[in-house]
Amino acid sequence: MSRSTNAIGKYYVYGSTLISAFIVFLIFTILLINSWDAINIIGLDLFSLDWNPANGEFGLISMLYGTAVVTIIAMILAVPLGIYAAVFTSEILPDKYRFVVKSILELLAGIPSIIFGLIGVAFLSIWFQDLFDLQSGRTLLTAGVLLSIMILPTIITLTDDALHNIPEKYRETAKGLGLYNFEIIKGILMPIAKRDVKSAILLAFGRALGETMAVMLVIGSIDKLPSPLFNWLSPGQTITSKLGREIAETSLGSVHFSAMIFMGLLLFSVVLLLTVLSQRFTSRSYRLYE
Amino acid sequence: MNRQLQNKLFTYSAWLAVIICSTILFFLFGVIIWNGLPAINISFLTQQASNFGASGGIIHQIGGSLLLVAFAALICFPIALGTAIYKSEYLNNNKISGLLNTLIYGLNGIPSVIFGIFGLILFVNMLGMGVSWIVGSIILAMMILPTVTLSTFHAINNVPTVYRENSLALGLTKWQVISKALLPRAFNGAITGLLIGVARAVGETAPIMFIATAFSGVTFPGTFLEPVSALPTHILALAQQATDPSALQNAWGSSLVLIVLVVLFSISALIIRLKYQTTSTR
Repeated sequence: MSRSTNAIGKYYVYGSTLISAFIVFLIFTILLINSWDAINIIGLDLFSLDWNPANGEFGLISMLYGTAVVTIIAMILAVPLGIYAAVFTSEILPDKYRFVVKSILELLAGIPSIIFGLIGVAFLSIWFQDLFDLQSGRTLLTAGVLLSIMILPTIITLTDDALHNIPEKYRETAKGLGLYNFEIIKGILMPIAKRDVKSAILLAFGRALGETMAVMLVIGSIDKLPSPLFNWLSPGQTITSKLGREIAETSLGSVHFSAMIFMGLLLFSVVLLLTVLSQRFTSRSYRLYE
Repeated sequence: MNRQLQNKLFTYSAWLAVIICSTILFFLFGVIIWNGLPAINISFLTQQASNFGASGGIIHQIGGSLLLVAFAALICFPIALGTAIYKSEYLNNNKISGLLNTLIYGLNGIPSVIFGIFGLILFVNMLGMGVSWIVGSIILAMMILPTVTLSTFHAINNVPTVYRENSLALGLTKWQVISKALLPRAFNGAITGLLIGVARAVGETAPIMFIATAFSGVTFPGTFLEPVSALPTHILALAQQATDPSALQNAWGSSLVLIVLVVLFSISALIIRLKYQTTSTR
């Protein structure tokens, strides 16, 4: 009896692990099969400018551009702000308030993205409209700013953890040498925490690329490159907003659908690569001396 | 530049960063509470939506959201538990362990909209299940699988080795050791992970919006293969008619209810974690 439960238990454990491991492959395979038509029929024309399914034009450049611009804006704003804030919470803020600050950050990270979208629609886009005197405040820049707020908690908590995990001895020794706080952080703590901070940035980058709801609501959803190219105060489109808006209205099996899935496949591959890279950074190969 | 001046500038910039962040934070919570509270009253919470959500309440949306995450948790938990046991007790090969970790973290990083189109292709179309809430639950279960697996793994892995050695010495089989000695001690950690996962799942919109939900005219489902109405997709629909003030007010009300749900799940996770923290000496 106990031997058979032992075997059943083993099968159950192996089985569920196989299921868990299988899901990523399953998603990849499904995306690949369904984007095959697009790769076959459209081929390199996927990387052209015009998106017009009625005429059989499926150029993804404007979506790729929008995704890149929005993500870059978000990173430029959130990375320095997040790292400085993390330095504050880890090095300047007294330890007794840390639990409170961490809990609030967790709470902030838990706000569903659709609510950020609502705030973007109700406030941010209207502010941008008034501030820059635009016809509509739904622009690439609005989406980038909103996205930067959304990835901020990720960067702060992970950087803060990285800094806080460094043993106190490093700081004391450096202080003993007569270094200022600024020099300790820049010269000693940051180099030690560098790998973890990089991993945090990559993780935030991946989340920014894949964020859908908030971006979809404030980006304006127009499949064109802005003119001039760096006029970020014009509406655009990202891969995710395109998928969110159009996929349900596209019939399965058409080239149009296939082209959409190809976009999804691109996004999936890039984000997966970023996650794996970020994972590599955190598996530390060195030891800190207590 | 003078060292002291540099130090001061640095400290000021850290303060500035933190002031900006806190302003954003207070603004976010401020607007959600300020705009959400006036929308909420008993009839808003207990009536069904009418006039495309612009009037009436959100009882079906709350019910739909809870139904989706409850079944997501039910589907996810056995698989996550099995994977966690394997990772903690059976696995002793570094290469496979690295691969499994990569797959789990990779799954965790996949954008939510990708899960949505995956569910649309595989379940809704290829398996012919149509737009139905059980598909939404399955997809949400896949999304929270990494979170639940990892925290269950830590809970099991943190049970001191003494327990394993003692029970093995008493002649228990491996499975008896796991089910009688380890799981009772790791149970709370697993529930904590499940609650964190549910807190994340309840707010997700992108994965369920084309596979599990319909906007209007939906009541509680009678079978597995019917669409439901959920809070996040309700907010999405209302946000798109943001020019209508009463729709917008209901959107804020629904947002506040959604956040309260998220916070409730997270806080219960936190309480369980603090109350039953297992000894972590191994």
